[in-house]
Amino acid sequence: MSPDADIAYWIVAASMIVLLAPLASGILSALIPVRYSWLVSLTASFMLLVAVAGAVVLVSNAGLHDTRHFSTAWFTLGGNEIAAGILVDKYAAVMVLVVTIVSFLVHLYSAGYMAGDASIRRYFVMLGFFTFTMLGIVLSDNLLILFMCWELVGFSSYMLIGHWMELPEAAQASRKAYMMNRIGDLGFIAGLMIVYRKAGTFDISILASHSLQGWETTAALCFFLAIAAKSAQFPLLTWLPDAMAGPTPVSALIHAATMVAAGVFLLGRIHFMFPPEALQVVTAAGLLTALTGAAAALGHFDIKKILAYSTVSQLGLMVTALGMGAKDAAMLHLLTHAFFKAGLFLAAGAIIHTLHQVQVSTGKTYDVQDIRNLGGLRKAMPVTFVVFVLCGAALSGIPMFSGFQSKEAILSHMLSGQGEWSLIAAFLFLLTAFLTIVYTFRLIWFVFIANEGRQWGNIPEVPFVMRFPMIVLGLASLWWIVSLNPFSFSGWFMTGRATGSATMISIAVVITALATSFLFVRKKPTPTGAPGILTNTFYLDNVFGALVTRPVGHLSSLCVRIDRRYIDGILHGAAYAQVTLAHIVGWIDKTIVDGIVNFVARLASWLGAFVRTFQSGNIQMYIFWAGMGLLLLTLYIVT
Amino acid sequence: MIPIENYLVLSATLFSIGLMIVVIKRNAIAVLLGLELMLNAANINLVAFNLAHPERLDGQMFAVFVIIVAACEAAVGLAIILQAYRVFHTAVPDSISTLKES
Repeated sequence: MSPDADIAYWIVAASMIVLLAPLASGILSALIPVRYSWLVSLTASFMLLVAVAGAVVLVSNAGLHDTRHFSTAWFTLGGNEIAAGILVDKYAAVMVLVVTIVSFLVHLYSAGYMAGDASIRRYFVMLGFFTFTMLGIVLSDNLLILFMCWELVGFSSYMLIGHWMELPEAAQASRKAYMMNRIGDLGFIAGLMIVYRKAGTFDISILASHSLQGWETTAALCFFLAIAAKSAQFPLLTWLPDAMAGPTPVSALIHAATMVAAGVFLLGRIHFMFPPEALQVVTAAGLLTALTGAAAALGHFDIKKILAYSTVSQLGLMVTALGMGAKDAAMLHLLTHAFFKAGLFLAAGAIIHTLHQVQVSTGKTYDVQDIRNLGGLRKAMPVTFVVFVLCGAALSGIPMFSGFQSKEAILSHMLSGQGEWSLIAAFLFLLTAFLTIVYTFRLIWFVFIANEGRQWGNIPEVPFVMRFPMIVLGLASLWWIVSLNPFSFSGWFMTGRATGSATMISIAVVITALATSFLFVRKKPTPTGAPGILTNTFYLDNVFGALVTRPVGHLSSLCVRIDRRYIDGILHGAAYAQVTLAHIVGWIDKTIVDGIVNFVARLASWLGAFVRTFQSGNIQMYIFWAGMGLLLLTLYIVT
Repeated sequence: MIPIENYLVLSATLFSIGLMIVVIKRNAIAVLLGLELMLNAANINLVAFNLAHPERLDGQMFAVFVIIVAACEAAVGLAIILQAYRVFHTAVPDSISTLKES
């Protein structure tokens, strides 16, 4: 074999392993008998480790500089052949690595977090399936398979968010997530139809060289609708905070690697299809999302909700960056965000997990996710604290942490752009970054540092199987994940130089924000909220309620009324008519048909009775009748 | 000469009376009497029609035959009635109903 064919062989094989190992993990989890449920977490984690190994092989063979495309005929429709295959470029390779690693860590963490859960098998089945579908999105080379995986990701997230389906809010949240994604899927299908009609192929690498003949903007906006729904962009962002009703490791997976990253990844994958006008829409939506999310995170009290809104905000930043053409920077932020956000969620999960156990043992009940009930956990849970601070610092974009570098990359791109549009974007970006620092500081302060006097008693740290993924993710939030130079984003992933002003402005913003937030929270025993318009993201849910839910409700009640009145009326009328007809027919049958039959029978019996009277057995009567008969005969003959 | 219609009326009257007796009377002997009356009505007819052909005696011969047959019939009939009376202690035919159901 030639070296090239050798590499191709390895890439395809590794891709198959990466794809199939999570699927196998899911299937295996389903096959293991209920009695050995505890085994599930071991096998699932092991299979994901295999997937990580596959991803490493894949990346080491594919490299980061070439785009490799393997495809094979899938099916033929009329004269059109639809191909299926894998497309590995730099972004896909990195994404595969991130997804498998985060998913593996989440699997490991879940082994501790979900231990003893009644339906742990279903949990791991869906977790494996979720990972598999996300990897399908990442590796697929055509939009059709990507769309299938896209749908399956939506379905898996529905199952996982609603894992504790006995809780009404979990069931509600899963439905909401699913419905919002359906809205986006509508856009995806419309986009697919446009693409196939105009370009005649679904293959992404072929599409790059095809023109859509005037339909570029429409197609791009259709796809952006799908991306907005999946990545929780304005205005379809409200499902993501609600999705916190699911188990915390699932939140970590959704927010870091699988669900919301899919939208950003797709936006990067088909970035070439977006004309400038569409990109302006993308940028505007991204900026609006980033600000809305950050403002909402500032006012909430639920630790998971704050993190969820922070994800919304960070996704907005990525989408903004993509909208402004900074594909590398956006993907870099996606990468760093995956690690530090997963770390934050796992740490939050550790707090929730531990305090739940404390609640069970002490018999107290309070909302463990509400930061007003927390505080002073620094001493009690030192490992969690350190991980949370590391990841939180990365989220805030503090120098020496990965978030700083990726945000710097985005900011540099914005500042190097021309026109006031990029300056406005850069300003809003910095505002978001400022708010990010404030809400992160507020979160860490009120969860770990404030109220030190609060007596937590002897709280145990979470078990090692949960601590290990947290520590790994905490370390992955440091600068070396991007580049060895903590002030430069130019490393293995992307090259470029930060504009000097970007670094300076970033550091200035960080310092101001830290000082502001410290002064803001210093004397306060409990956190304060924000106005409802911010925490409710401009009452988007109510807007949806008024614009969509209520009209749909009205429509359905109208349909019900029409159904009741007219359709049921017709049906009932038909039924009544039939019954009436049946009655008439019955009457005719009884009276006329039976009447004739009975009449004939009665006539026969009457005739018989009459005739019988002649045969009385009296001989003299016979003679009399014979005589009469003779007389009649004689009369007949004579006359 | 007496017209033949008178004979025929007499014969018919006698026949009717005989028939009436046969139909009405309950006693078998009376019925036999009625029968004799009817036979004799026929005899009157036979003899009366013989008037049309005085040179031949066919009608009268027939009448004699009828009388003979009637005598035989009366003898047999009376014998039967007598035997029936012995067995059933009645001469009323309606009461003799052993062949009838119930």
